[in-house]
Amino acid sequence: MMNVKFLNPFVEAVAEVMEKEVGAKTTRGNLTMQTSAMTTTDVTVLINLVGQVQGVVMYGMSFETGLNLVSQIMGQKFTEFDTLAQSGVSEMGNVITGQATIKLSRAGYQSNISPPTMIMGNGIKISTLDFSRIIVPLKTSVGEIDVHLALRESPPGMNNTNFVDLTVKNKTP
Amino acid sequence: MNVKFLNPFVEAAFEVLKIETGCTIQRGDLNLEKSLYITDDVTVIIALVGMVNGTVFYSMNESTAKKLASKLMGEKFDEFNSLAQSGIAEIGNVITGRASVKLAESGFESTISPPTMIQGKGASISTLDYPRIILPMSSELGEILIHLSLRQGNKNKLNAAQIPVPEAPKAS
Repeated sequence: MMNVKFLNPFVEAVAEVMEKEVGAKTTRGNLTMQTSAMTTTDVTVLINLVGQVQGVVMYGMSFETGLNLVSQIMGQKFTEFDTLAQSGVSEMGNVITGQATIKLSRAGYQSNISPPTMIMGNGIKISTLDFSRIIVPLKTSVGEIDVHLALRESPPGMNNTNFVDLTVKNKTP
Repeated sequence: MNVKFLNPFVEAAFEVLKIETGCTIQRGDLNLEKSLYITDDVTVIIALVGMVNGTVFYSMNESTAKKLASKLMGEKFDEFNSLAQSGIAEIGNVITGRASVKLAESGFESTISPPTMIQGKGASISTLDYPRIILPMSSELGEILIHLSLRQGNKNKLNAAQIPVPEAPKAS
């Protein structure tokens, strides 16, 4: 079960970053919780968190929203979702997640984030396996962005250990 | 990408696949790619954070995934259901975990993220400015491709986006 206190840092971070970088106001829609796989829209930015909070955060949006977003950030009109646009949208995800982890660390949860991975393609299934996802739909003036949070608090003492090693060692004769 | 990050993955994949499946594993030729990765049926994504920073993908087609899951759990899977998915994600987790232990032994400590599974052919995945080394591992179960897009991270693990920007001093 995901801890709801991990939710607000992300919602705040998105609102702040969108306001600073894009000048767009965000309004939050109704939260939903899913355990099944996520079906992608056009563009998904995936960023992992490790540390006292672990899991994955995904930002899903349409190509149109992605293009509007980078056009605003970089101050030039994008008509094609090229590598520069991909990089811009990924960086946006990186900045939002980075801001959110600063807020999380103020609340006592230290974590680090991975480099962003960008997935493009409609109708692909992304499963976070045993992590349930909270979906936060956000409406902005550049379009809709869905934030998917599949996070949980790491068990104590586990945040920096590679616990998986033992499972293999036990099997060797 | 730093080549010294490659061998731990080769060794880990060999050991884990051999122990878990009992099959003979053969390594194919390495490839370096900068372009998008077009997904196969099943892809497991695991990120590394720390002195080694980046993402690892394990990709295979559905028939290989089902055969591998059947071997791992000792029961026949006709359908790639959630149990089989979890098995495939776990093998990715175990290989990456073992590789990260080896990396830590050579002085590159890193933490691995929980696995994420992507199902669906033909999506494109970009690791942006990180090029990927592709390591094919084949066995009687089929071919598993390991994509490594890693680079050396910094010691305090912080990503630039996590450093708070100080407030501008107020004009008096």
